[in-house]
Amino acid sequence: MKPFEILDHTADVGLVAWGETLEALFANAAMGMFSLISELKNVECHTTVTVEVKGNDYEDLLVTWLNELLYLFEAEGYLLKCFEIEELGQYYLRARVSGEPVDQERHTIQRVVKACTYYEVKVEEVHPQLFRAQVYFDI
Amino acid sequence: MAEVWSGPLRKLDNWRWVIPREYKKGMLVEGIIYASERMTQSIRKDQAPEQVANVACLPGIVGRSMAMPDIHWGYGFPIGGVAATDIEAGGVISPGGVGFDINCGVRLIKTNLTEEEVKPHLEKLLPVLFRNIPSGVGSEGRISFSVSDLKKAMREGARFMIKRGFGFPEDEEYIEERGAMEGADPEVVSAKAMERGKGQLGTLGSGNHFLEIEVVERVFRPDIAEIFGLFSGQVLIMVHTGSRGFGHQVCTDALQTMQNAMNRYGIKVPDRQLACAPFQSPEGQEYFAAMACAANFAWANRQLITHWVRESFEEVFKKSARDLGIEVLYDVAHNIAKVEEHEVEGKKKKLCVHRKGATRAFGAKRPEVPGRYRSVGQPVLIPGDMGTGSYVLLGTELAMQETFGSTCHGAGRVMSRSEADRTSRGRNITEELKEKGVLVMAESKATLREEIPEAYKDVNDVVQVVEEAGISKRVVYARPLAVMKG
Repeated sequence: MKPFEILDHTADVGLVAWGETLEALFANAAMGMFSLISELKNVECHTTVTVEVKGNDYEDLLVTWLNELLYLFEAEGYLLKCFEIEELGQYYLRARVSGEPVDQERHTIQRVVKACTYYEVKVEEVHPQLFRAQVYFDI
Repeated sequence: MAEVWSGPLRKLDNWRWVIPREYKKGMLVEGIIYASERMTQSIRKDQAPEQVANVACLPGIVGRSMAMPDIHWGYGFPIGGVAATDIEAGGVISPGGVGFDINCGVRLIKTNLTEEEVKPHLEKLLPVLFRNIPSGVGSEGRISFSVSDLKKAMREGARFMIKRGFGFPEDEEYIEERGAMEGADPEVVSAKAMERGKGQLGTLGSGNHFLEIEVVERVFRPDIAEIFGLFSGQVLIMVHTGSRGFGHQVCTDALQTMQNAMNRYGIKVPDRQLACAPFQSPEGQEYFAAMACAANFAWANRQLITHWVRESFEEVFKKSARDLGIEVLYDVAHNIAKVEEHEVEGKKKKLCVHRKGATRAFGAKRPEVPGRYRSVGQPVLIPGDMGTGSYVLLGTELAMQETFGSTCHGAGRVMSRSEADRTSRGRNITEELKEKGVLVMAESKATLREEIPEAYKDVNDVVQVVEEAGISKRVVYARPLAVMKG
């Protein structure tokens, strides 16, 4: 199972993520988003912050979670790669996310992801213990 | 690949295609796409027409849900979408109808220089511009602004920069809304948006944003060109950028608020990205006040960049910007929601007009048009893709009647970024453009490849549609000489 794949969209970019649990699904979606921003192989997970988000349902939670991570990247300069979901319910998510500040010498920023949109957002259990999520980003 | 759209497009005339109300349950008005017959083939290749139908479901929408010929698949609204809602009849405002890059727009700057005078200096000028104007992913502004300055910029827009010496006093007259939308309230802007925006004032950004040096190659309407101060062979500078991370965060925050508000107001929309609230509700008002802050941030941003353009030309040509005739022709927003008065079925109404990848194109006599242009209509600035050139159009009376004074905004993508990347693999885009007589400097090679000319519709086709349909008129076409990309 691939953790995520990129969907073609005329102006923007879509992402499909997979996971055996919802926790893995949310972590893989985050990983997919950061892989759009930068090549992650040179990113080390030595700085950790806690992230908490609320939502109306899993879809809302997913969009809000990804936008919160984008904020950490753009405002605080963190490239994130490790996502440990500590608590996840329909309306609440708490995670410890790790990465490191952007270092121009070692990291290349490939593109700006302006935001994660609600367009065609999906979080679904496609088989027992197989979850699939889909989002589109404004690039 | 995207799914093909197979819904109904009824031909009204050669340039107008209607999506009837019966197509989809919940459509309150019909949809209309301005396009040539040939274009409808490519428009059907993705879900953009479905998005036109979805927008027709917004509470309070009047007239039609419209799409300009540069229509392409977006999220929520299609890019190229225009929708107006009746404010007094519970009409909504939708952050998705503006987009994340609030007041992404175009400024066109004139000079009194000709191609012959500029060409020998281009190789020197482009790197100077590149040095003076921060661009690219994660670029930081050259000037650091305090929180109180940032708030002033949100209220006063371009004027804030002009007062600080970054511009000529008359610049503000030649900016849509005079570079400062009313109703901006920095107190409703989140700390996150402030944090994300503070380092980005005075930066070009990346993606499809650019600065271009171009030359007027063709004059279609000499009388109008004269009023706009344009002549054949004249060198112009076009700046395309917006409100950067600040606007992105304002939109992100508002979308979240609107998800909750919709339940409260019993609003149902076919796509969550169309989340909205009545314009006059607290949520609607709060978004409008924050959006206006972001719009003003963008005008302040383009003003600061204009100042650096002047400085760069002064450095290379060893003359003052005044002597070089470096003046603002006009500055337009193409991602914005505005409160405007328009006639609907014979009655004057206060509308909230959303333009998402669409440009205001007011005709003659409207008080919003600068005095110098008021007798003929406003200049409309249409950038092409990198290397293809751009147009200056004129707003028309027919646009006032039919599209709430709106027209296209650019070429419009036809190729996804990954497709563009595949198509351009192994090619040297900088060299290719150089052979076509266009000098390019870019922060990122990847951006250049994603933005190759083939990824876009032909801007000439797009402009032909709005001209033939009568919602704008061609004034001049300008060919690119040099492009700076993020």
